[in-house]
Amino acid sequence: MNLKPTIGMETHVELDTESKMFCSCKVVETDEPNISLCPTCLGLPGALPVPNKKAIEYIVMLSLGANCSITKEGMFHRKNYFYPDLPKNYQISQFDFPVGVEGSLEIVIEDSLHTVAIERVHMEEDTGKSIHLGSGRIDSATSTLLDFNRSGVPLVEVVTKPIISSAKMAVAYIEELRQLVIDLGISKGKLEKGNLRFDANISVAEEGSDELGVKVEIKNMNSLKSLEKAIDYEILRQTKMVQDKESIIQETRHWDENKQVTLSMRTKEGSADYRYFSDPDLPNMVINDEFIEISQNQIKETPEKKRKTLLDTGLSLSDSNYLDKGQRWLYELYLSTVKETGDCKSTFNFLTGELQGQMRKAEISELPQWLNSEKLASLINLFENNEVSFTSAKDILAKLLIEDIDPKSFASDNNLIQSSDNDEIKALVTSIINENQDIVERLENPEDKLVGYLVGQVMKSSKSKVNPGSVKEVLLKELFG
Amino acid sequence: MNRNIPSISKLNNLFLDKELKPSELFEQVYENASFTESILHAHLELFYDEGIENSKKSDERFLKGESLGKLDGIPIAIKDNINVYGYKTTCSSKMLSNYVSPYDATVIGMLKETGSTFTGKTNLDEFAMGSSTENSAYGPTKNPWNPDYVPGGSSGGSAAVVSAGSAVASLGSDTGGSIRQPASFCGVVGFKPTYGTVSRFGLIAFASSLDQIGPITNTVDDARIIFDNIQGYDPKDATSIKPEYTEPKNKKLKIGIIKELMQEGVSEDSQNEVNKVTQLLENSGHEVVETSLPLTEMALSVYYLIAPAECSANLSRFDGVRFGLREPASGSYEMMNKTRAVGFGEEVKKRILLGTYALSAGYFDEYYGRALKVRSKIISDFQKAFDDFDFLISPTTPSPAFKFGEKTENPLEMYLSDLCTIPANLAGLPAISIPTGLSNNNMPLSIQLMGKPCSDYSLLDLAESIEDMVSFNHLPKMTKGDI
Ligand SMILES: [Zn+2]
Repeated sequence: MNLKPTIGMETHVELDTESKMFCSCKVVETDEPNISLCPTCLGLPGALPVPNKKAIEYIVMLSLGANCSITKEGMFHRKNYFYPDLPKNYQISQFDFPVGVEGSLEIVIEDSLHTVAIERVHMEEDTGKSIHLGSGRIDSATSTLLDFNRSGVPLVEVVTKPIISSAKMAVAYIEELRQLVIDLGISKGKLEKGNLRFDANISVAEEGSDELGVKVEIKNMNSLKSLEKAIDYEILRQTKMVQDKESIIQETRHWDENKQVTLSMRTKEGSADYRYFSDPDLPNMVINDEFIEISQNQIKETPEKKRKTLLDTGLSLSDSNYLDKGQRWLYELYLSTVKETGDCKSTFNFLTGELQGQMRKAEISELPQWLNSEKLASLINLFENNEVSFTSAKDILAKLLIEDIDPKSFASDNNLIQSSDNDEIKALVTSIINENQDIVERLENPEDKLVGYLVGQVMKSSKSKVNPGSVKEVLLKELFG
Repeated sequence: MNRNIPSISKLNNLFLDKELKPSELFEQVYENASFTESILHAHLELFYDEGIENSKKSDERFLKGESLGKLDGIPIAIKDNINVYGYKTTCSSKMLSNYVSPYDATVIGMLKETGSTFTGKTNLDEFAMGSSTENSAYGPTKNPWNPDYVPGGSSGGSAAVVSAGSAVASLGSDTGGSIRQPASFCGVVGFKPTYGTVSRFGLIAFASSLDQIGPITNTVDDARIIFDNIQGYDPKDATSIKPEYTEPKNKKLKIGIIKELMQEGVSEDSQNEVNKVTQLLENSGHEVVETSLPLTEMALSVYYLIAPAECSANLSRFDGVRFGLREPASGSYEMMNKTRAVGFGEEVKKRILLGTYALSAGYFDEYYGRALKVRSKIISDFQKAFDDFDFLISPTTPSPAFKFGEKTENPLEMYLSDLCTIPANLAGLPAISIPTGLSNNNMPLSIQLMGKPCSDYSLLDLAESIEDMVSFNHLPKMTKGDI
């Protein structure tokens, strides 16, 4: 029996709006509890919700960015359930008329492209935060503290179709989605801050079977590492259960970081009935062509577009994807630098290897103002044309990070320019051959280790100012013809 | 109209002519309240200190010739489901017995701008659910015409205070007739404006798609003045509209009598009032014709699915977590359950259960879903009717005020008392109740007029002309005397 896993992802994205979804309270990032509240987001009697236009613009942008069709007349629904940090004991969400439907995202796994089909993109409001003292769980806490700063913060939920087939693919999907919301400028996209939180629905079924297996939901993860491990663990667990002829129960589990396993969450009997109905406090959400156009015009960049631009410079898919998902300045620096060097691979290697490495070591997070693409291109050209050694290039870069220098004049001022002048090399080579006649006599063929020794001697006598490749070439010609 | 309290325009003239001071009026109204409250129990709380202070500020404005307009110095009572900053808003529920609002409802803010003063908060059926104020957790309000009779509901307190002269006017809220029905039972004017013309922000919701704040007054002109000062678009209420008020095409109006509200189930007394007014309208050159709106017969059933469904979610926020009553318990869920069990009265619980059921998986389509469909048919029926007619007329209630306890055992009987008023809420129409006569047992009777959306001002004009023709000048028992 060959089992294959099927995964569907539900991701909550916290939008980076100034104010909350249905009131004018500021969205704040602070540990100080309950400082950004009003009657509406605290669910006080008589208070009413008014939709945040910016948030709707953002969700339309996200829907367009995920290639969805836009529901022209959508509506808000009430999702009813009781929980202390849900002030109204219903959450304003969307049900059968979400803003975006039937979209797709292109994702990259190593060196190949895949597509993830998106089922829906809908708008909702976030809840407050509960801190259950004593046990960490509502049913056994000694007391519960509530912070409503997050209550009413706009959230978008993006739901994929159940077509993801591995943990790696799920991770690549989240990376793409995260980059999309960052590039659109609609969310900070910080996983560690919980700006993206994801649930994975996982089932296994026999390969070739049309039916999906019983699905298990792993809730509320916000790190890619946990996501990958949790999915892998869950696939193994379910596969083993099927092989052992045990039946899988439909349930919600969570990933236990300490034990590195998924654990069943206490589930209530029967499935929850949220009694969705359209919110009578909110008129239908009419998204007309003009609004869609305004939102479309706000889209300056998407990871897919960036990746195409990178591929056009000649980079491989995986290198393009790497820069696509990296920091914005690096992406831009690469594009402007490669324009001048014309050499995608060496530019990519130098920026992602040497430059990022030195910055990390020096604990610099931002490039100094003077370190522009022109200087970097000139430096890359210097060592690519064998005018300086790679070691010297590294030194020049280190200098550039702390001081505004011109790489080329710095190289010549500091005698770093390697000579490619054959006459000079020939003279050096001749003198070394003459000085080392005993060794020359012992040479048997061009692959002899002693050739390297002689090259070293030439380099030493030139104080490393000649190109080692040229030296070897001249030396072999002199010795073996 | 000859009532013991002059109209707002008349009072304003007295203020301007320095024949009466706002503070004197306030004292008089307060004295009326002190005299009647022990029997009527119409106010839940009186705001004497702030009221007298504010009316003295009005005195000064009139003295300096800087009055703020017709409502300056006018004492107005507020139904206790509308938030006034710094005062308790109880909704006549145990759940909110200690709840002090930290903000003003939009209408309260607007009234404060006019210089009017507040007499206090008035009694209602708990969370506005009921037709007699018998569902108040703080005891019922009595009818000023006869304390053995109910004042109607849910705005029973607001209707009784105007009728008894312990406020010049009041604000009520109307979800299925809660302004018009008590106004009718207490012999005063009750006006439910077009849905969306008056902000609901700060009104504690019963059924959001039906709730509407409006005035209860002695005269139609008083209702117009209050409406004028509380209507208008509110950015804090997403269902509020920017109204474009309409005028009828001709001076000679075409008015339809709703056949379905003039048959069995509606008392002869009530029908006679409509016939009487019809005669007067015809005499003054208008055309009055019977018309059929068959779906009005389903309005009651539709209402008792939609209103409980919405209330089941609207009332979820009363859980003891952030405000109001909190019953001690050992865990969060137990606390919420206990608080709701103790805090809500029977009628409220009944409606929450009904609504929860109507929205449940497996029942949604059959109940709530179907009710929505019929509601949209009712709306389009009214639209068609208003292609033919400028206004529609009917009794306000199937019968005059009933006695305490008469209908508490039979909820369906109680629900039927809103038979004539519910359709206007379902369709969002403006509707007004004006007193036109007395029943055999000397209780007031009224007629109701309905107009198309945003015909509010022309509806008030027609109501005023009927008011003039009828000249209803009877007075309730429970009044202190002239001012
Ligand atoms: Zn807020």
